[in-house]
Order: sequence, then C-alpha cells, then structure tokens
Amino acid sequence: MDVKKEKILTDEEVDILQEIMNIAFGQAASDLADVIDIHVILSVPFVKILQAPELPGYIRDEIRDICNISIIEQKFLGKFRGNALMVFPSHAGKELIALFGLEENMHPDADPAETLGRETLMEVGNIMIGACIGKLSELLRDSVTYSPPRIIIENHPCDTIPDSQLAADDSAIVLKTVFSFDRGSISGFVFLVTSHESIQWLKEALRKFIERYE
Amino acid sequence: MIFAQIFDAINIGLVILDRDLKVCKWNRWMEMNSGIPAAEIVGSHIFDFFPNLKTRKFLRSCKSVFTFGNFCFFSQKLHRCLFPFKTTGCFDTRFEYMQQSCAMGPLRDENNEVKYLFIYVQDVTEAATYEQKLVEMNMRDSLTGIYNRRFLESKLREEFKRHKRYSRPLSIIMFDIDFFKKVNDKYGHQCGDFILKSVSSMIASQIRNVDFLIRYGGEEFCCLLPETALEPALGVAERFRKSVMEHDNNFDGNNIKVTISLGVAEIRPNISSPETLLKKVDEALYRAKRKGRNRVEAMI
Repeated sequence: MDVKKEKILTDEEVDILQEIMNIAFGQAASDLADVIDIHVILSVPFVKILQAPELPGYIRDEIRDICNISIIEQKFLGKFRGNALMVFPSHAGKELIALFGLEENMHPDADPAETLGRETLMEVGNIMIGACIGKLSELLRDSVTYSPPRIIIENHPCDTIPDSQLAADDSAIVLKTVFSFDRGSISGFVFLVTSHESIQWLKEALRKFIERYE
Repeated sequence: MIFAQIFDAINIGLVILDRDLKVCKWNRWMEMNSGIPAAEIVGSHIFDFFPNLKTRKFLRSCKSVFTFGNFCFFSQKLHRCLFPFKTTGCFDTRFEYMQQSCAMGPLRDENNEVKYLFIYVQDVTEAATYEQKLVEMNMRDSLTGIYNRRFLESKLREEFKRHKRYSRPLSIIMFDIDFFKKVNDKYGHQCGDFILKSVSSMIASQIRNVDFLIRYGGEEFCCLLPETALEPALGVAERFRKSVMEHDNNFDGNNIKVTISLGVAEIRPNISSPETLLKKVDEALYRAKRKGRNRVEAMI
C-alpha cells in the first residue's frame, strides 16, 4: 500500500528522523521554558510520510475532538524547507494574550479583542514553530529563515478544512507534535510539511547525522 | 565592501544589536527618523535611548533569536510601533506615531553561531491609515456620518452575547421621521437629505458616548442603549421626540418642522435573538405610527 512512501524515505531514514525529532523537541521544550518563562509540554513527535493532498484529511482525523480551529502557517527556508502549520483551538488566542503577557503591548486604542487574539496566535505560533524548526535544523547543520506567520484558517469547524489550502507538493513528511501550555489548558498541534525539493538534502543530512555516531 | 551601501540606501530602518543588546549598526533611515545620529547611539545600550522597548515581549524575542536563531515579528496591529517616531510625510493620518511593521532575526558567524540580531523597521503608516478609513467607511452611513445598518447587526450580536453572560439590561429605540415623503415632494431631495442630517446630528448630540445611533434605512433610525432598561429608555425616547418636534430646520429660507414616531424595546428572557428584538421594536414603532404619529410606544 505504501509504495510511494518507500520512495521518499527508507524505514531506517524514518527511524533516524524520529530520533532527531526526539532530541530536537526535547531541547526545544527546555529552551522554550527558559525563553518564554512558560512551561511547555511537547509530546514525543510522530513522523509520518504522506502525500500532501492527504494532509487535510489527516489533520481532520487527528483533531476530530476539537470543535473550531485556527491554523497558523509559516514557511521556513533553508536547505531544509517547507511549511509549518500550527493548529490551535479557536478560543486559544484570547487566553494566550494573558499567558504571554501581551497585554502590556496593547495600545489603548487597540483593535478589538478578536484582532489581538489573532495576532497573539501568530506570535505564539512563531515562537513555537521557530523553536521546533530551529532545533531540528541545528541538529541537521542547516540554518533557516522564516516568512512572517499568517493565519490560513480562522475559527473554522475542523471537519471542513478545505483541501485546496494545503495541497502543495506531491509528497510530504509530516512531523506531528502535541503541545500544551499552562498546565494543559491550551493545547494544539504542530505539523511540519517539508517540501519535495529538500528531501534529497534531508536524506544526505540524515546519513551524515548518523555517521557522527557510528 | 560595495554591497554594504545598500544598508544606507534602503528605505527601511536597520538596526544591529550584539548579545548585550548594544547598538552596532544604525542605518541612515534610522538616523533620519529618530533624529539620533549613528555616531551617538552606536556602542550604547538600546534601552538607554529607547527605555520603552524593555517589554517582556521584546526581551523574550531577543532571547529567542539568540537561543533558536528564530525570527520574531512585531506586527503593526499588535504593537503599533517599536520605535516611537513622529509621523512624517503622511499628513492625513490620525496616528500620532509612525506605524511600524518590524521583524528581528539572527546574524551568524562562519561557525553558524548567532552573534548579532538585526531589526528591520518598515513604515506602514499609510497602509494602516487606509485600513482604518476602510473600517470606518464600512460601519458608517455616508450621508449622516452616524453608524450604518451593518454596524447595528454586528453590534447587536455582540451585545446579545454580553447580555447572556452578564444579564445586563439593553434597550433599543427605533424611530422614523413622520411624513418624510411629503418633505421630499415639497422641498426636494436635497432638503430631505438636510433633514436627515439635521435630525441625526441633533439626536447624536443628546446620547451618551456608550450609546449607538444608527441609520437603519431611508428615514428610519435606531438607538442602542446598553445598560438601560425599558423604563429609562422610554424617557430617552420621549426626550428625542420633544427635541425633534421643537427643532427649527432652516433650509433655503424655509423653516421646516418635522416630528418622529418612536418604538422602544428591551431584551427579555423570551427574546432570544437580535432579529426578535428588532421585530419587537419595529412593532412598537408601527403602533406609534398607527396611533397618530409624533409619539412613543413601548413593546408589548
């Protein structure tokens, strides 16, 4: 059934990637606690190879129990490149304003709470995505730059995520982690969708990584 | 280094800070807009010149740039500006300070270590001004300058939610200029427009700043009164009626007197939606019309 999957990464490569992710996300979580003074739990990441058009369906299945969601997207660009998607429940924005101490930035004539909620989601998305990608690319000896985060889906029932928004390359490596802040009251998912072009590089980087330990 | 000329040529502010957050570079754009010459600020701590930058968010961003090699973004919507510069070259703006979209990122040495961070500052005052104007236009009536029906619809939804949470009273007055068609027929549409403006500006001057005056349709208006129960709202409506009746509308040498009919309703437990409330107040208004106009009727 997974003929295409084998073409992208071998089982061994997936194992190595899984291992790198474990290390990267472990470090990211502890650095995040240091940087943002908020305890973040990042679950052991899960690696899955998918065809990109399958991704919306996959996300729908993964987050079935959350009612309405918003998705933040950020492109990362290095030898390792692709899209990072961060899925939050819709109400999270407003709660994160206080948690991240962003009220102090609010201007007296600031926009309504909804706008601030959106901006907060983007800001938190940027921190989380940056931490995860940053650590990962560091381990793979790459350095990446980022596009500004943007909201691609806002307050949308998750069972109707449109396919078109997310269809990208022919294939995608989906790295999924579940995160939660503030003793678990706010949680969501990070999906990293790597672009097809960086797969050759990734294979090479994985090989070099494992060589360092052999 | 020839390429380095771009640093001063570019129409964007560029700042480079070292790990102690001391200024290493301050480009010409920054000199121009801040009035601080590079020679003065280079080598100093950025907070010595911009103490207000020392926020949790800014410090956290610096830290995450140095720790993760992250990029951090300071959107205009959330932050308005990082560096408080006076607006220049944009006269038609309500912003006191230049609106900025800023980002921060890492500069690495040959060993891939983050040695410095850069900040770029883009002036987005013009775009922010346009956006503000569009938002304004979207919720105001172009003739009278008061709120429009679209605004009422979204405001009512909001107020209903608030009412559900806190059970605070909310009333609405709907009123209509009596025999408005006759004014139009007799004096022309320009005069009709004048009457609409005159009535709305007079009522607008009588309401509290928490109330909302809306042009609902042709010669039909609504006034939303948060934190107000039916009884006091009836008093307000009666005041509106009297003042419109007594007001002289001088147009083209004619003194035109008009009157209004008003309906008043408040949120009750059996009124579950904004639509029902509007229906109730509309019924009250029509009763006022049927009973002879120039009067106030409450919902039943």
